[in-house]
Amino acid sequence: MKKTTLSLLTALAAASALALTACGGGDETPSGSPSPGNTGGSSEAPAAEPVTITMSGWSLETTPEFQVLADAFHAANPDVTVEIKEYDANDYGTLMLADMSAGAAPDIITIKEAKALGQWVDGGQLLDVTDVVSGLASNVSGAGSYTIDGVNYAAPYRQDSWVLYYNIDLFAQAGIDPPDGTWTWDDYAATAKELTSKLGGPKGAYEHSWQSTLQGFAQAQTPGADLAGGQDYSYLKPYYERVLDLQDSGAQEAYGNISTNKLTYQGQFGKQEAAMMAMGSWYVATLLAQQASGEADSFAWGIAPIPQYDSSTTGTDKVPVTFGDPTGLAINAGIDESKLEAAKAFLAFAASDAAGVALAEIGIVSSVASDAVTAAYFGQAGIPADDLSKFAMSTHDTRPENPQSPNISAIQTALGEAHSAIMSESSGIDEAIAQATETIQAEIG
Amino acid sequence: MTTQPIASAQLSAQPGAVPTGRGQGRRRRSSLRWHNTLRGWSFIAPNFIGFAVLTLVPIVVLFYVALTKWGALGDPEWIGLDNFVKLFTRDPRFNTALWNTLYYTALHMPLTLAASLGLAVLLNQRIRGAAFFRTTAFFPYITSIVAIAMVWNLLFSPDYGPINQILRFFGVDNPPGWTVSSTWAMPAVIVVGTWREMGYYMLLFLAGLQTVPRELYEAARVDGAGAWSRFWHVTVPCLRPTTFFVTVMLTIGSMKVFDLVFVMTEGGPGRSTLVISQLIWQQAFVEGDFGYASAIAVVLFAICLILTIFQFWVNRRVER
Amino acid sequence: MSRAGRKRRSIGSRIGLVALYGGLAAAAVFLLLPFFWMISSSLKPDNQVFTVPVRWFPEVFKWSNYVDIWTKSGMADWLKNTMILSVVVTALQVFTGSFAAYGFSRIRFPGRDVLFLGYIATIAVPWQAYMIPQYKMMAAAGLVDTLWSIILLQAFGAFGVFLMKQFYETIPEELSESGRLDGLSEYGIYRRIMLPLSVPAIASLSLLMFVTTWNDFLGPRLYLRTPAHFTIQVGLKVFQADPQGSSMYGLMFTGSVLSVVPIALIFMAGQRYFIEGIATTGMKG
Repeated sequence: MKKTTLSLLTALAAASALALTACGGGDETPSGSPSPGNTGGSSEAPAAEPVTITMSGWSLETTPEFQVLADAFHAANPDVTVEIKEYDANDYGTLMLADMSAGAAPDIITIKEAKALGQWVDGGQLLDVTDVVSGLASNVSGAGSYTIDGVNYAAPYRQDSWVLYYNIDLFAQAGIDPPDGTWTWDDYAATAKELTSKLGGPKGAYEHSWQSTLQGFAQAQTPGADLAGGQDYSYLKPYYERVLDLQDSGAQEAYGNISTNKLTYQGQFGKQEAAMMAMGSWYVATLLAQQASGEADSFAWGIAPIPQYDSSTTGTDKVPVTFGDPTGLAINAGIDESKLEAAKAFLAFAASDAAGVALAEIGIVSSVASDAVTAAYFGQAGIPADDLSKFAMSTHDTRPENPQSPNISAIQTALGEAHSAIMSESSGIDEAIAQATETIQAEIG
Repeated sequence: MTTQPIASAQLSAQPGAVPTGRGQGRRRRSSLRWHNTLRGWSFIAPNFIGFAVLTLVPIVVLFYVALTKWGALGDPEWIGLDNFVKLFTRDPRFNTALWNTLYYTALHMPLTLAASLGLAVLLNQRIRGAAFFRTTAFFPYITSIVAIAMVWNLLFSPDYGPINQILRFFGVDNPPGWTVSSTWAMPAVIVVGTWREMGYYMLLFLAGLQTVPRELYEAARVDGAGAWSRFWHVTVPCLRPTTFFVTVMLTIGSMKVFDLVFVMTEGGPGRSTLVISQLIWQQAFVEGDFGYASAIAVVLFAICLILTIFQFWVNRRVER
Repeated sequence: MSRAGRKRRSIGSRIGLVALYGGLAAAAVFLLLPFFWMISSSLKPDNQVFTVPVRWFPEVFKWSNYVDIWTKSGMADWLKNTMILSVVVTALQVFTGSFAAYGFSRIRFPGRDVLFLGYIATIAVPWQAYMIPQYKMMAAAGLVDTLWSIILLQAFGAFGVFLMKQFYETIPEELSESGRLDGLSEYGIYRRIMLPLSVPAIASLSLLMFVTTWNDFLGPRLYLRTPAHFTIQVGLKVFQADPQGSSMYGLMFTGSVLSVVPIALIFMAGQRYFIEGIATTGMKG
């Protein structure tokens, strides 16, 4: 009954809005109506007829991965065309939610942030694609981030993870040995301080202001850390103590300056303001492009595994633990029956070896781990080709930053507040963590 | 001396209040009333229809959503007053945001009112270059908010910012950390908010100043009134309708403040500058709880309504 | 004031004048500082916009930003769309607002004051809270991704009604009364007496509405999806990538500088309408 009230009001308003628009208007196809190709005829043969499916993407000019996937799929399946609908990169979640609420979302919905998945699944927007995901090869990672109660809602095509970038030239200038894959965070901190004092200009390290640059590691690496549990966040403390020490000793830019001056990590590392930086693997492609265009200085750099919690996971004979969320593709629950087959085929394709190679060639880290993909990735012009860089990019245990849990957004918001309070040193570590825990428990309880 | 020329004009008849002769009776009056209603609505209708369809309907929906659990997708689930109960009993963040918003409003509103009125009076004079300075005063309002945040954060920078350097020069040993201090972040935001909006409200006061009859100033001068006395006894009373408008808009605008705070501090450090509008945004679009976000919006609406009614009441009293 | 009086005060007032201009000039610098930083940033390479410490002047001047913005983006389309929206919304708001304000301020009918209060109170509801229901309506009407959606969104607010009503209250009722005696209808009084007298208010309402529409971001961001339909503020976000990409901050500020220019010009040109007291001359009668 309540639903009727709401829809009645909406219909009423829509009717009057229609009257107002009679004088002119756009070429907008009304939401939800099937596209021209599928209205006529009751032909049931799915594969024979040409099908067009739509897919969401963002910043198409600087993010070519969607078009690459669409083109590669079309080349392999000439009957199916994938059309990309562009969204704004920074407001993707909001705009997608609005389109979903109006029934105007595309057939294939790209999952930009794993955090949003739960809300969309609750709202009945995404199709169960367990059959597609269970059919994926065993070398595809990241599907776990899209699993709720044992059901898969998206297939990952991209899996970034966090690594350590370092400036070889600055290390040489300071006369300090570059990372060798055996570092714990304490080694990292000691080197950062040494670098800073020897370089006398550039800082030893740069840590961007996001909460994930610290909490992501603490949560992925600390044994027993339980983000979704809402009980105990004291595992963050050693990580904060180390970073505050670095900040106070001037070995990394102060959080206050980063946040108030809106510093960009691309500028800090690319213009050689810092010798080391923990950042996601996506930055490889950006740095290559910026060095080529002159936007970044030209210097030699390398990639090392991210420093570890303790020595039990360090060294190139072990698997370093890091974190990262995948990017995946989901299917709109309201998709036209005739397009379903094609959409599922596209999901499976995006997580295949062939797609992985196509993505790797443009610098995207595919969710597929295979020799062919790695070879394609390191075929990019200008990419560091040393063994440690290859090891860092291909060998890691990547834990999800946002494990699926009904309260994950609320938890992350509260911990984000703690992050800014601690890093700006406007409250103590214990105090801020206690406040966050209290807030989270009020939310969960 | 005439201090209330407008109020007295207003007390004179309006069409609906035209005194009717004794013998004309009730029928005449009710038909007049009917006529006035029709005429009044004919004036209001063009705006009201658009307003009702596009704003009123969604707001009515919002009031309904506040009583439900709704994630913007699917059907709302009726939960009665649960959202409000949670709001007032177990959401520490709401209390902080409400307090911060009231704090912002309590300082930002009077400061901006005074600054914009002062600017308007100053720049309404016939001084050379006034046109340039008026445009300049309006610039903060049209400059990109990112640029504003950037430059002000620089000015407020705890270690090497000019503001703290001046404070140190005047013997303040331990100047505040401004936007990275939980105590001083809000005052910093208030200063920038005032700086940014005073040009906007100045414009309204400038328009209002044009309605002050020149003769009143001349009469006051003849009576030997000084500049301050003329301001207080002529300008202020004549500007009352404008002042009322600015006060109401400023109060509501302050209660709804969002973008400036967000760009300058993102609500931090911690939650020391978290305001109600940001909380609504977080609850709706980050946490996907539109029912709860709507409930917060309803509370904000109620507070603003009370403040507005109070301002109307004060305005009426001053009018008399 | 007599000539002698003017002379006697000249030295004192000259010092005062110097102080006044000194103060004004200092204030102007203070007010224009962020704008200056914006211009400076519009000439920088992307990686040098946000730095510690802040750089007030570019190391290398990247003048090409001012050429690139026209060739690499839909700036011309965006300017055109923004101009259309600002003009139409302002015109609608001024017309319907001043018309409705007359009803609220000069005609007494039952329920008027409550209705008016309701109008104003809705301003207090943050748009984010009801944008989804509103979006559903607009989508049902097929208006998403058209300029119509923004026109409808902006044109019927309570702001103009409230502003004009407050202004009408400063116009003496006797003027309307004499109009009525001359046989003017209420509509005639509105058009012949109130409108001409409220030029300063209409001018400031127009300017404020124009600026608001020009700078509006959230509404156009939600509704306008095709780059060719963007307004400037939405278009400029094209240059700002998500955290994983590389933003073109230089171009973003180039666009911001360009988007301020039309407003500044309109402000300069429109000033005389809310400064020169047209209303006062009318009120002498």
